[in-house]
Amino acid sequence: MLAYLLLRWSGVGVFVLLWEMAPRLGWIDPYFVPAFSDVVREIVHLLLDDYLGIHIVVSVWRAVVGLSIACLVGVPLGLALGRLYPRLGDALGPLLRVLSQVNPFSLLPVFVLFFGIGEVAKLSVVGWVSLWPVLFYTMTATRNVDPVQEKSAASMGISLPELLLKVILPAALPTIFVGIRIGATITFYILVASEMLGASAGLGFLVHNAAMNYQIPRIYAGATFIVIFGYLLNRFLIRLEGALFAWREDTALPSAASALAPVSGWRPGRGTAWTGAAALVAIVVFGGIEVRNVNREAASVAPGAHSRHFGTPVDGGGN
Amino acid sequence: MATIRNQFFARHLDKLSILLFFVVWQLLPKLGGIVETFITPPTVVFATLVDLFREGDLLSHVGVSLYRSAAGFAGAAAVAIPLGFLLGGNFRTFQRLVGPVLRFLGQVNPFSLFPLFILLFGIGEFSKVAMIFWVCIWPILFNTINAVKGIDPLLVKSARSLGTGVVTLFFKVILPDASPGIFHGLKMGCSTAFFMLIAAEMIGASAGLGWMVWNAQINFQMPQLFAATVLISTLGLTLNFSLGLLESRLVGWKQKSFSGNN
Repeated sequence: MLAYLLLRWSGVGVFVLLWEMAPRLGWIDPYFVPAFSDVVREIVHLLLDDYLGIHIVVSVWRAVVGLSIACLVGVPLGLALGRLYPRLGDALGPLLRVLSQVNPFSLLPVFVLFFGIGEVAKLSVVGWVSLWPVLFYTMTATRNVDPVQEKSAASMGISLPELLLKVILPAALPTIFVGIRIGATITFYILVASEMLGASAGLGFLVHNAAMNYQIPRIYAGATFIVIFGYLLNRFLIRLEGALFAWREDTALPSAASALAPVSGWRPGRGTAWTGAAALVAIVVFGGIEVRNVNREAASVAPGAHSRHFGTPVDGGGN
Repeated sequence: MATIRNQFFARHLDKLSILLFFVVWQLLPKLGGIVETFITPPTVVFATLVDLFREGDLLSHVGVSLYRSAAGFAGAAAVAIPLGFLLGGNFRTFQRLVGPVLRFLGQVNPFSLFPLFILLFGIGEFSKVAMIFWVCIWPILFNTINAVKGIDPLLVKSARSLGTGVVTLFFKVILPDASPGIFHGLKMGCSTAFFMLIAAEMIGASAGLGWMVWNAQINFQMPQLFAATVLISTLGLTLNFSLGLLESRLVGWKQKSFSGNN
């Protein structure tokens, strides 16, 4: 097991070693590419300063709330369009495809116009982007439920709400979860981008602000941290998927989970579900308070002390 | 007669919703539901597009954007496909070694790298093309590796036992069998390229479609903003559609793969 792990991570080790050696030995200008240890020191420094923590909380809060909105809208809507009103789903299908193809970045200004430059604009962009995979996967999944299961349930006189809740939703859940996982990945992408385009806190802002102030080790620190964070998020979701849907034999979808997640002994039960739900609520509530504080602080900075991050200064106050 | 009408209705039902969407979009500002400054009706958007086209700026912006994405995409394909064949076919142990690094790199959020690209490659064309290159290379590489790895060994062995040479084996067995997977990667890479390009141009550029959106926003030119958005969506859809068409022409003989999104 240890040998396997060593072999598996030796590539990463070599990569880190190269990153450490190249600037130290002068192969690359260390000013542009700081050594790996310097970057790690910068990350630790940011963590100890309690500077990184705020940005993580803000970004995680935005991602969680955005994704939750997408799930709350996408899953019921997908169920309705895929199952209850399939004709309507057929009719609306092309429109939804067209809308999903609209580039979210070109929509960002429109959202800013409608919702201001505050949190709602960012949340709506994140929600918009992650809505489509959730919606489409739900629609497809609820349509492709094994007819035998459905007919068996119907022949035992199941009512429609019960059919939806006890047969169709559980059968469709693995596929829906794939949609949610894809949505989460895209969410994280878009979140960083939208924080770069206009925010006063968050991981994207951290990198962008470092870039604007030419703090090169901090750019690398922020970028590395985002990489690690995204990787961990993805691993966690794949693991969760594998643990939640270990009972499934095969799905219509080629799933990363079946290939990647080892069959672990851990099975989430009722306790895990409650813990997870409590954690989600805690993130939303406490993150929300934190985000409000951060925004209030950013808004209350005296004029002149706070520089704009983008474009030319409005009132020529740049110099 | 009724069945024919039903067939006609069924076939064009899907387009109806798009038409309806445009009608609502047109009427909503007119009826005073929302201020017209915020939502530009499609007729005005179309007029703006025609105006921009007449001024001659539009085509150059589209050209710049297409050039950037095409250059990055072509570079990525030229690197990733041979590399994928090598990693998936000849050097499997090496692939197992570098696999985690590659997967890790593939998950790097491209936006967090954007400042680094500017640092390393300057603020010119090259950094944008490099960014597209970076974004495109991963789906193509991973799909190629998987496609080459997933080739049915029975086919290879049969061909070998019939005395096929290495070159013939590659062109007649391996390449055709791997092509659907590779094409899927190319398709993913292409749509990601276009997607990222807009963001890259919004973050720092002086021309291109993303810049048009950004410029329209900071100057509060709503018609231009909507015009650019519509143009970008249309281009993206056309790209997707033509790639889908190309895919069905080239690798249509293989069973269609399930895809939830596109």
